[in-house]
Amino acid sequence: MSLRSGVATFAGKSSYWFLHTFLHGGSSLPGKITLKLDPQILRSLGAKYDVIVITGTNGKTLTTALTVSVLHEKYPTILTNPTGSNMEQGIVTTFLNAKNPKTGRPLAVLEVDEANVIKVTQYIEPKAFVFTNIFRDQMDRYGEIYTTYQKILDGVALAPNATIIANGDSPIFNSKELPNPIQYYGFDDQPDSDFKAKPNTDGVLCPNCQHILHYHTLTYSNQGKYFCPNCGFKRPELTYRLTQLGTQTPTSSQFDIDGHAFKITVGGTYNIYNALAAYAVGRFMGVTPEQIAHAFTANEQVFGRQEVIDVNGKRVTIILVKNPVGLDQVLHMIGTDPQPFSFVGLLNANYADGIDTSWIWDGDFEQLADSNIPTFITGGERYKDITFRLKVAGVPDDKHIVEPSLEKVVDRIQEVPTDRVYVLATYTAMLQLRKILASKGFIKEGLGV
Amino acid sequence: MTYELNVAHLYGDLMNTYGDVGNILALNYYAKQMDVHLNVQVVSLEEDFHAADYDLAFFGGGQDFEQTIVAKDIQTKKAELIKFIESGGPLLAICGGYQLLGHYYIGADGEKLPGIGALDHYTLAQDHNRFIGDIVIKNQETGETYHGFENHQGRTFIGKGERPLGNVVSGKGNNGEDGTEGAIYKNVYCSYFHGPILTRNGDIAKHLLVAALKRKFPNDDFSQQEALPIPATF
Repeated sequence: MSLRSGVATFAGKSSYWFLHTFLHGGSSLPGKITLKLDPQILRSLGAKYDVIVITGTNGKTLTTALTVSVLHEKYPTILTNPTGSNMEQGIVTTFLNAKNPKTGRPLAVLEVDEANVIKVTQYIEPKAFVFTNIFRDQMDRYGEIYTTYQKILDGVALAPNATIIANGDSPIFNSKELPNPIQYYGFDDQPDSDFKAKPNTDGVLCPNCQHILHYHTLTYSNQGKYFCPNCGFKRPELTYRLTQLGTQTPTSSQFDIDGHAFKITVGGTYNIYNALAAYAVGRFMGVTPEQIAHAFTANEQVFGRQEVIDVNGKRVTIILVKNPVGLDQVLHMIGTDPQPFSFVGLLNANYADGIDTSWIWDGDFEQLADSNIPTFITGGERYKDITFRLKVAGVPDDKHIVEPSLEKVVDRIQEVPTDRVYVLATYTAMLQLRKILASKGFIKEGLGV
Repeated sequence: MTYELNVAHLYGDLMNTYGDVGNILALNYYAKQMDVHLNVQVVSLEEDFHAADYDLAFFGGGQDFEQTIVAKDIQTKKAELIKFIESGGPLLAICGGYQLLGHYYIGADGEKLPGIGALDHYTLAQDHNRFIGDIVIKNQETGETYHGFENHQGRTFIGKGERPLGNVVSGKGNNGEDGTEGAIYKNVYCSYFHGPILTRNGDIAKHLLVAALKRKFPNDDFSQQEALPIPATF
């Protein structure tokens, strides 16, 4: 380590100690200070580590946590970054906080924002990249899926020897010739047929000849065993295959990968993709399927995002929604609940929610109207938008309570005829709701995602 | 239902940003209340559009890349689309769809891409800027106020044969200069509004549906449909 890097590291570490000790914070400021003193600090900080970079639109956080669990089965020391610290400063802070490893070459598993991949690869050549998926994010005001992927590839271009472990069901990850070794994972549990994705799906053009892709099988959005009837472009051979999909509920999923049975304590097909990605990294790093199965069941806390809150006897599950693909997946997931439930939709349009509410029309709320949900409640600052969305979806007025005030939404939740209640909320609506639940004593803390 | 209308969802699998499909859902919602059944069909790449087959058309906005592909393909549908428009066919075009009905637009990389010139507008680009935010306009002829969310890099200038969909009350509109938003030509309604436009402005959905009904069933009385109350949704 150069003198400059040494000084910068010391300054960053001291600032972390100060912030952590006196202000109970400090996730990106130490990184900021260190970067100011030595912009190339990652070169010296990261040199000791084998780095695995996980990037993509959805699923980065859970894939990272699961991958860490899986790799812990074989590797004792793994450095990883906390949620939300996936930009350059947060990553520098993560390295600064690490204790010096005593023996061997430790691993670092890093969740990295798509546009920040290049800020890592400028200084560190990762051992592997994991690409989860690229979807249109309503928060992404300029981004298109192609420009987002290009940003990732700009970073990957600086690390041509790193192995790419990519979601093989996503056509975009097969659209460019790359020098890197590539392994794909995907779903392979259905017999082949021939159809197109539903009209309102993003990214269905063949990257070779710009005809509309067809599918032999499809999981959701534009992901599946795609092929182009015009030029023969098709899904690549999978290295890691989901061979059977078992029972799914909102709190559990059973499935086989490469013939081995797995269970995770979280619902949603999107989370099976996250598990598949973690499995792929584990296998790539020499972890056995038995160890991976153990990691999936032994670390339930990594799925801790969907907590159930007891509101006067109602089992209330709050789920954050932020983009159409995620929304559709959540709607599908709650539909797998074998018990009856009521539905609450809370919509805000502050900056952190996305200021344009148009995206709710890309979500398939129609599937809710077709199920046997006895009560719907809509609220939040943009309650009119979400209310009309449900009306158009076919939710009848006599089952639909419109309640702009979140205080009153909490009262209404206690009156629904079901024990279970699913609350889908945008970011600031969720924070507001949690604050109210905390003030009424239903949860301890007002914050936390 | 007593009436049936055939709706062409132009390039619905490629031009589908920002919830624009909600316009089809809203059309369906109001059509049901008018005793009308809609048959919606996506008409996409290398598929024929025959003007005589459709009573109503919707053309949404798309990502830059998809729009360049559509800009090429739509030339093969140009004659029939013009025939549909000139014969009074009702059409709603949003954002990229709006641009492609005009003479040309400037693509993301600065390239000038031809539209079909069915309507007399053209679209320029702006450097490193987009018009993003809530927008309110007022139509001077009907007195109706429309609400939307705009998000566009293109700056569109309407031509002599076109009237604006409305005058900007707040927001940027077509180009941020002349105070107009959108365009109306015959029964074609164009706009940059997302939201989507028909979910917040049911009156426009009603205008489109009534125009389609009158055109397809010229001898029937649609005064009941025209009287359908549209409660505010926004």
